[in-house]
Amino acid sequence: MNTIVGRSRWTPLLFLAPFIVTFLLFTAYPLVQSVNLSMHQTYGPKTSTFVGSGNFTQLFSDPLFWKALSNTFLFALGSVFLQLPLSLGLALLLDRPGVRGRLLFRLIYFSPSLAGIVFVALLFGPIFEKNTGLLNVWLNSWIGFDLEFPWMERHVMTGLIVAGMWMYVGFNMVYFLAALQNVDRSIEEAALVDGAGPWQRFRHVTVPAIRPVAGFVVLLSIIGSFQLFELPFVLLNNTAGPDNRGLTVVMYLYQTGFEVGDLGYASAIGWSLAILLMILAVGLRLVLQRYED
Amino acid sequence: MFTLLFRSGDYLPPLPPIVDPEKSPSAASDELLRSPMATTVRAALSPGGWVIVLLAGLSTLFVMARAGTSRAGLDMWVFARPHHEMYLPNVESWNANQDPDLNLYLLSLPALERRMSSGFLSDTPVADLIEADVRVASRAFTGPLKDVGFLDLTDRIRESGIDEEINPPSFTPWTSRGRIFGLPHDVHPVMLAYRADLVEAAGIDVTAIETWDDFIRAMSPLMADEDGDGRPDRYLLNVWETQIDTIEAFILQAGGGYFDEQERVAINSEINAKVIATIATWITGPGRIAVDAQEFTASGNRLKLEGFVVASIMPDWLGGVWKHDMGDLSGKVKLMPLPAWEPGGRRTTVWGGTMLGIARSTQDPEAAWEIAKHLYLSEDLARQLYESNGIISPIRRLWSRDFYDVPDDFFQGQAPGRMYIELAPSVPRRTSSPFNQIAKERVRDALTRLREYAEKEQLFTVEALLPEARSQLEAAHADIQLRVDRNMFLKDGAEGQR
Repeated sequence: MNTIVGRSRWTPLLFLAPFIVTFLLFTAYPLVQSVNLSMHQTYGPKTSTFVGSGNFTQLFSDPLFWKALSNTFLFALGSVFLQLPLSLGLALLLDRPGVRGRLLFRLIYFSPSLAGIVFVALLFGPIFEKNTGLLNVWLNSWIGFDLEFPWMERHVMTGLIVAGMWMYVGFNMVYFLAALQNVDRSIEEAALVDGAGPWQRFRHVTVPAIRPVAGFVVLLSIIGSFQLFELPFVLLNNTAGPDNRGLTVVMYLYQTGFEVGDLGYASAIGWSLAILLMILAVGLRLVLQRYED
Repeated sequence: MFTLLFRSGDYLPPLPPIVDPEKSPSAASDELLRSPMATTVRAALSPGGWVIVLLAGLSTLFVMARAGTSRAGLDMWVFARPHHEMYLPNVESWNANQDPDLNLYLLSLPALERRMSSGFLSDTPVADLIEADVRVASRAFTGPLKDVGFLDLTDRIRESGIDEEINPPSFTPWTSRGRIFGLPHDVHPVMLAYRADLVEAAGIDVTAIETWDDFIRAMSPLMADEDGDGRPDRYLLNVWETQIDTIEAFILQAGGGYFDEQERVAINSEINAKVIATIATWITGPGRIAVDAQEFTASGNRLKLEGFVVASIMPDWLGGVWKHDMGDLSGKVKLMPLPAWEPGGRRTTVWGGTMLGIARSTQDPEAAWEIAKHLYLSEDLARQLYESNGIISPIRRLWSRDFYDVPDDFFQGQAPGRMYIELAPSVPRRTSSPFNQIAKERVRDALTRLREYAEKEQLFTVEALLPEARSQLEAAHADIQLRVDRNMFLKDGAEGQR
């Protein structure tokens, strides 16, 4: 009996074919094409002129690109240094033994991330409004805060970081909580018996145990931050806000490619962002590896 | 672990043979059935596989059937619901009496913008006739003239004498490099809408107001702090550094602009500097008179309803919006010509605009042109346009019609149509530069930085702010110039590779 008949040498290829065809068509080809595009000035896909590295040269002297990059970095810093510690703090609270209603709290904290970003932006718009916004009215009645304080004009990134925190703190908390629940309790108990205090136990037992998950969450957070688009776009009424204070790299890419029609320059922005993210991801990996070593 | 499991194909259990050669009726069919492809296909298409193939087949048939149901005739896209409702009876009468039929579609403005842009940029299908607003239409003028997605209507307009019939400034937003690409829908002159109940109660005579300085002087008693909370009970004018359309309207009124008639960048002009320096003194410092009560927002409407702002600039189309959104203001508001920047200066400006363009890809340009004229030159539609939306027609021969003289209770019995028509010939000219939107944003940024500078240096007079205003506008000018210079398709005779 020849069992090879049932699975010929073509069988694996046939099963892989849908993925390979889809990958080549929708990932590999557009990638190669976008490299080509980044070396052209275009008006849509049908009219273009080769400019070589001109788009990249222009990009590095383009103040708007640097503005977008610094805004995006600021949001990423806010995500990593404000949002993630808060997520970890909530996870630690929920991980304490004897916490009642853990499932309910987990659901409550996680639920904002179920809402779409556009919905969140629409929600925060009236909150940050001048004169009639919920935040100013509440602060005014509480501490006499200036009703006309323009959050979305002068503190755009603060507003975006707060909205981002509201949305993603619970989401990241779930990762941390899962990691905390996998920490070996016997090691913690041994540390406790050896007289380690709460901070020492956290520092020397918990943190090393959750480091792989924390690294993953930091990486996700950085990549997500650098893709920030819908939140400022909707919150600032399809603009980048006064003095481009809400301009992010992806928003600049969108404006250039789809509002101005220069797909070549937009491709150059996209590739610059991709290379930057690759550098950040490799850098983070090296840092984490150093800690593990 | 993964490598361990899958390093060798031996880990996979052998599949049972699907074809038993010993039981096949003939050697030929045995050979066929045993071919690797046949075996693979038979193995792959389990009952679940057949269901997927069936669903794929059915959905393909469904899509093909739908693709064949497109209606005959020409298609037209509009973005404004009132326009759609207004055109429907006319379209029905056209379809009953003329050929080819016209199919009218209402799209949201962003949807129309994206479909139009992608269609023009990459030759995907678009409607034969497209009604576009001033911001959307200028997108079509970014590339070489031969690639503008709208049909060049210049010769048709001149031959039919329409250029003589329509208010000249109404053509300018649809004219690129000397060629006209759309029929104007409107004029959109601007007046000042003010809270007559408050102004008259304070005994202020608005007829004595000629300039913005007069306006501030006459109206300032309304800014008293009678409730003693340390801030004025109300502000005089609705304008803010973020209101890019309002800022542009003020600049155009003063005779400035972002591009000259040859579409060269003109942001760094002295007029523009004076206007933004003046607006900066209106929005900050001890001479502040303005507040941000944006149109189309609940918070802005609330400030207007509460009387927190006395006056707003109002193009003809905005009256209809106020009536719909703030009916409680009926009988409390009146209109007056805008105060001028200088004695004897222009008493109006322009804000917004819509055109009807014919897509270059249309199969029947002559029919599309006839339909465009039927809709846009109709007296009946001009009357409906005014009665339902307050918008005056750009066709000058219709300005004498008496429907523009009907008193409006919302404006305390004034006849807004007649008032707007008197100002229509003075509406400033605009350009159709595709960089207009980004220029508006840069000037807004310049004003924002100027306001910050004023607060930091505690300088709150126009004269003191002028040098900084010039410097900020110079930077905005340089930025836009850089972008214009980069666009080699806008240069004379430049054509890209196809």
